Amino acid sequence: MRRFRKTFTWLLLILGAIIFMLPFIIMIGNSFETFTFSLPNPPRLLPKEFTLDNFKEIINVYHIFNYFGNSVFITFVTTIIVIFISALSAYAFAKIPFRGRELLFKLYLFTLMIPGVLNIIPQFMLINELGMIGTRRGLILLYVGTGICGNTFFLRGFFEAIPNELIESVVVDGGSHFTIFKKIVMPLAKPAIGTLAILVLLGTWDDFLTAKIILGAKESLLTLPIVIHRINGQHATKYGLVFAASIITLIPVMIVYTINQKFFVVGGIGEGAIKE
Amino acid sequence: MKTNLVKKRTHTKSNKIYNKSWQAIIFILPGLILAIAFIFYPMIKNIQISFSDYDIMSGKLTFTGLNNYKELFNESQQRFFTAYRNNILYAVVVTPITLFLGLIIAVAINCIKKFSVTFKVIYYLPVITSWIIAGLVFKYLFNPGIQGPINYLLVNILHIIPQPINWLKTEWGGNISIWILGIWKNIGYAMLLYLAALQGINKSYYEVADIEGATGLQKLKKVTIPLIKPTSFFLTIQLLIGSFNVFLQVLVLTGGDPRGKTSVLQYLLYTRTFKLYKFGEGAAIGILTAVSILIVTLILNKKMKVDY
Repeated sequence: MRRFRKTFTWLLLILGAIIFMLPFIIMIGNSFETFTFSLPNPPRLLPKEFTLDNFKEIINVYHIFNYFGNSVFITFVTTIIVIFISALSAYAFAKIPFRGRELLFKLYLFTLMIPGVLNIIPQFMLINELGMIGTRRGLILLYVGTGICGNTFFLRGFFEAIPNELIESVVVDGGSHFTIFKKIVMPLAKPAIGTLAILVLLGTWDDFLTAKIILGAKESLLTLPIVIHRINGQHATKYGLVFAASIITLIPVMIVYTINQKFFVVGGIGEGAIKE
Repeated sequence: MKTNLVKKRTHTKSNKIYNKSWQAIIFILPGLILAIAFIFYPMIKNIQISFSDYDIMSGKLTFTGLNNYKELFNESQQRFFTAYRNNILYAVVVTPITLFLGLIIAVAINCIKKFSVTFKVIYYLPVITSWIIAGLVFKYLFNPGIQGPINYLLVNILHIIPQPINWLKTEWGGNISIWILGIWKNIGYAMLLYLAALQGINKSYYEVADIEGATGLQKLKKVTIPLIKPTSFFLTIQLLIGSFNVFLQVLVLTGGDPRGKTSVLQYLLYTRTFKLYKFGEGAAIGILTAVSILIVTLILNKKMKVDY
């Protein structure tokens, strides 16, 4: 009975894993396939003739690495700025008592209930009025602005866990909150900041809608998700190109994910931070 | 309670901390300015826009009362109601299936010792894959002709259906594809949270159950499921709210075809605003969606009495 159950569990997991991996296998297999005006018939997992043409075309004709560079730049700048500003806010919310603190924090929390996309119209108008449509500045500014509430909330939970005695000792010695923030809080919160950085990196890397609306038709600035979607729009049947570009986009995500696997457990749960 | 005590102690113990309260402004201000500009102000502005006509050339807002809302409710094609219906259907179909399958996989992974990390990674991969990429792969899978892998599987291998289905251009074919993509992409998230909850269960519960002679299924029903209830609640809320967030699936897979029958609220908002330049109607859709989400959250919080 016990052995039977074990076998069943393994069978279930392996079967499920195969079904789960199938879209990835098809994507990888077909990125080495030659696509013409119609799809390969019958569909196959592995290409009939292995070719690197899709990758060559996506690199040489579509200049995918230019867009890769755009995505890297926007993602990193956004992540650094949003985490620095959120960490400052989170520190004040966690460790500096001031009037109206809890009320303001509740307001931050409230905004998290409403999906950000719903405010995209006034946000677009605002960036438009600032004359920043079609610029990186505009996009990064909007990413940072919309990320503040959530990231502040995430970090506050971790900052609160830092013992007050540590902070008091610095204050009694005459140190300012800036000293505490730099010398105590930031070093101690490294794991939390690392987790958050990964979540922000991935979220920004994958974003489509905000980038599309703010960058508009500014060809030279586009990010990877927009370019991939556009390639599909231009050639409905050339999935080889789409899949090759997708693989190039996915590789950094996979690397970050596998290196920081243990972070994801913390980040994914997020519950520890949410249960106030 | 405990934190309250600690706070009180710091009040009396060192006034020095209070003397430095002014420094909070410097810490809060950069974030607050950005939050006001890009979150709080847009939220209020959105309400104003929903009652107005916006002229994109001059940038002028003209108050038009309830016109935008009336337009949404009265238009002959009823696209708003179809989109709303699709969001609700998505919630009703995707949430329970995701929870159920996520739990089964988590329990299975929790049972094995070897390769548990490998399986965790495999099942979590869809979660970290961007919607655009996942959507395009599924668009290929659900290709209308016999060249589409799903059609090929159903017609030529399993012989379940006689003719290939035009998945993405029919009302229910399109919706089913959108649901399947949603389920595939969300299961890993449910699995991860359930796995964390399962690992937190005290082993002694199962020892007692073993002594009582409970079977595996009984243990699952009487011990595991009740103990992971908080995780189930949390996931239910997350997934239900997430159901109002469906957008890229529709954009990539069906584009709302045929005639808006597979559209959802956010997709409608997007097309009304950035394709037809009806900013007011777009904003009205946004407001109605936000109100719906708030109501759902309030009801769920009351019903489930989740304390977070």
